[in-house]
Amino acid sequence: MSFDDYKGAPMSAHTIHVERGAASRFAAAVTDTNPVYHDLRAAREAGFDGIPVPPTWTFASPFLGAWAEDQPADPTGGKGNPMMSIMSDLMKSGGIVLHGEQEFVYHQPVQSGDVLTSFGRINDIYTKESGGKVMTFVVMETVFKNENGEPVVTEIFNLIHRR
Amino acid sequence: MARPVFKLKADGIDVGSEAPVVSHKLGRTDLVKYAGASGDFNPMHSDEVAAKSAGLPSVFGHGMFSMGLLGRAITDWAGVGNLLNYRVRFTKQTWPEETLSTKIVVTSKEKTAQGNVISADVSLVNQNGEVKLAGSARVLAA
Repeated sequence: MSFDDYKGAPMSAHTIHVERGAASRFAAAVTDTNPVYHDLRAAREAGFDGIPVPPTWTFASPFLGAWAEDQPADPTGGKGNPMMSIMSDLMKSGGIVLHGEQEFVYHQPVQSGDVLTSFGRINDIYTKESGGKVMTFVVMETVFKNENGEPVVTEIFNLIHRR
Repeated sequence: MARPVFKLKADGIDVGSEAPVVSHKLGRTDLVKYAGASGDFNPMHSDEVAAKSAGLPSVFGHGMFSMGLLGRAITDWAGVGNLLNYRVRFTKQTWPEETLSTKIVVTSKEKTAQGNVISADVSLVNQNGEVKLAGSARVLAA
């Protein structure tokens, strides 16, 4: 497959339960002691109904809140995340994989009790040469929606293979 | 839910204003905590033996830990729930025993359909001024 064939390819879909304990532990792990993440009374004073999640939480959320029994159908039809095949093909000739850039667009707050659905796809793949190195950029987008089908967070994840 | 409470007032903010700095000395415990809380168990971040056998001097920090630390400084400043956009480029790895400090500098202020929007350049640097992350954020203000 050429790179162009992968553009727009679905990668993953999840149903994600936003659990208070996972949100609080994640906040603590990024050194965030803001009571809004640890005390429901403080969260309510700050305008939330539940414990909100820190800004980068959704990036980890498929590992934290995707319960096996209520996951959507695999959008790759069992072929697996195409990013993995792209990177393993590139790694056959050596090199390293780097997390180049990460972006979050926040549409609505996410808080404990929410059930999100996420859908990820490959937006773009391109190659650049710089300083004698070949860099392949894989740009992925994941949209998280709430139970009303409204987007809450959009993530753009840029991985680089450098050789 | 009600909307999140604003923490910033656009009136009191000018281009060049800086948010309070958050500094944190990175320890191996941070790496283990972040691995556990995020589910990212790449051994290069949590297994010193594996990292050394891969030719690294030691384990190194998760890029997303750094982004989380810088995100904390942004929400400390602007209030949780007021972030519109947050993006970074990962420029250097972080290593245990480095002291990482946040830098958030206002670059613009505008009235939009969403309300008062403050844009800032954001970065995380070590004790020698080496930039680990650099990017931007947009936040809402009253």
